[in-house]
Amino acid sequence: MKKLLFILLLPLVLLTQSAAVRLDQSEEAGARIKAIYIYNFTKYIEWPAEYKEGNFVIGVYGTSIPLLNELNKMAASKTVGSQKMEIKNLTSAAEAAQCHIVYILADNSSQLADVVGKIKGKSTLIVTDKAGMAKLGAGINFSVVENKQKIELNRANIEKYKLKVASTLVEMAVQVK
Amino acid sequence: MIIKMLNLKRTVCLAMLLLTVALAEAQQSKVSAAYAFFQQDQLDSAKACIDAAVKHPETSADAQAWYLRGFIYKSIYNKQERGNKLSPSRLEALTSFKKSTTLDTAQANVQECIKNVKYLATTLYNDAAASLDSIDYKIAIGNFEKFKEYYLMVDPTPANIQQKDIAFSLAIAALYTQIFETDKKGKAEFLKMAKDAYNRILAIDPNNIGANYNMGVLYYNQAVNLINQSDYDLDIVALNDIQDNSINLFKESLPFMEKAYELDPKRRETLLGLSGIYFSLNEFEKSNMYKQKLEELEKQR
Repeated sequence: MKKLLFILLLPLVLLTQSAAVRLDQSEEAGARIKAIYIYNFTKYIEWPAEYKEGNFVIGVYGTSIPLLNELNKMAASKTVGSQKMEIKNLTSAAEAAQCHIVYILADNSSQLADVVGKIKGKSTLIVTDKAGMAKLGAGINFSVVENKQKIELNRANIEKYKLKVASTLVEMAVQVK
Repeated sequence: MIIKMLNLKRTVCLAMLLLTVALAEAQQSKVSAAYAFFQQDQLDSAKACIDAAVKHPETSADAQAWYLRGFIYKSIYNKQERGNKLSPSRLEALTSFKKSTTLDTAQANVQECIKNVKYLATTLYNDAAASLDSIDYKIAIGNFEKFKEYYLMVDPTPANIQQKDIAFSLAIAALYTQIFETDKKGKAEFLKMAKDAYNRILAIDPNNIGANYNMGVLYYNQAVNLINQSDYDLDIVALNDIQDNSINLFKESLPFMEKAYELDPKRRETLLGLSGIYFSLNEFEKSNMYKQKLEELEKQR
């Protein structure tokens, strides 16, 4: 019979790894959840008439690039009523007075008292990200319950700035007094 | 009258015997003819003769006939169907060599048959490897299954074929993942197919680091995508549902990633994966712990 040709098993050249985990994907996802919450706050909380003109300003006090990116993406595609959203990265408590919402990130929680001091007579919703803050002046505080991002709400800390909060939002939050 | 009838009966029997011998010789001559045609490279004629011979009861159990048939079909494959990943002649050749070994009680050509099976099975494997793309992946699977069936004749050691099975399943699972990533909604079934492939590997080898890590990544990415595809308009109730589903997926991801970590604690990707999963579960202390381990590891490099 004829001669046999010899050939070798080729290696399976295809990559055998799925796309790797990117840590920033987790941060992006966490930021997305917070952005969705914040957009919900604009729907369930009513600002006084004089705050319904110009841009709707959301100030972020602290540094989180994923969060700022998410909020900017949200601002580019959504409005609050007829108002455009504007995202500001605050560097001082004084700038909080120009905002409809000021979100104090966990690392800047010690600045809460300063912010409270600067927004007297204004209609600014204070949002924080550290346990206990809703008792210390924040209107809404992000908290984690069973791995899930939830919110604590202190109605008095919202309404004292002439903001009206819908009962729907109150019911969906853990209430703090 | 009786004598006449006996004579007639004897004549008929003799005629039948002669016919049988003649037919048997005719079949043997068909095998010989097939061989002659094969030697002259007249493969179509060789094929017609040998196919007739192996269908006939006289030669259907002839190991030599099947052996020759294997060579004829192998030559047809090599000369006419080499680029055809679905070559029917290759399969006919393999079937013939296999059949020959089962009939070859004298073991005259068994080793030669096995060598040829090895050669042809290898071409099946190589064609399977070359078909690992979004268009031909079904051909890849079909050829790999055939490869396994015949390669057992060459190397009957279960562990060796299992290793090849694992390597192929890892490759096909990665391909399914790539296809899914191109169109997550339209090709959602590929995510399940990828998970099924990894599960098959883990059923064979629970300590396979690649399958554990990749399975962890699949669940992790599914969870992240679920959140990142949510619209900002989502109400809080719906957001809670999304969070519940994503948390379940992160928790599904965790044991696979932890197993991958246990198998290789110094693998950068796994540390990154665990840090990401715990971050997403809002367990920041654990997330930071793995992040620190990763930083320490990178300092050492």
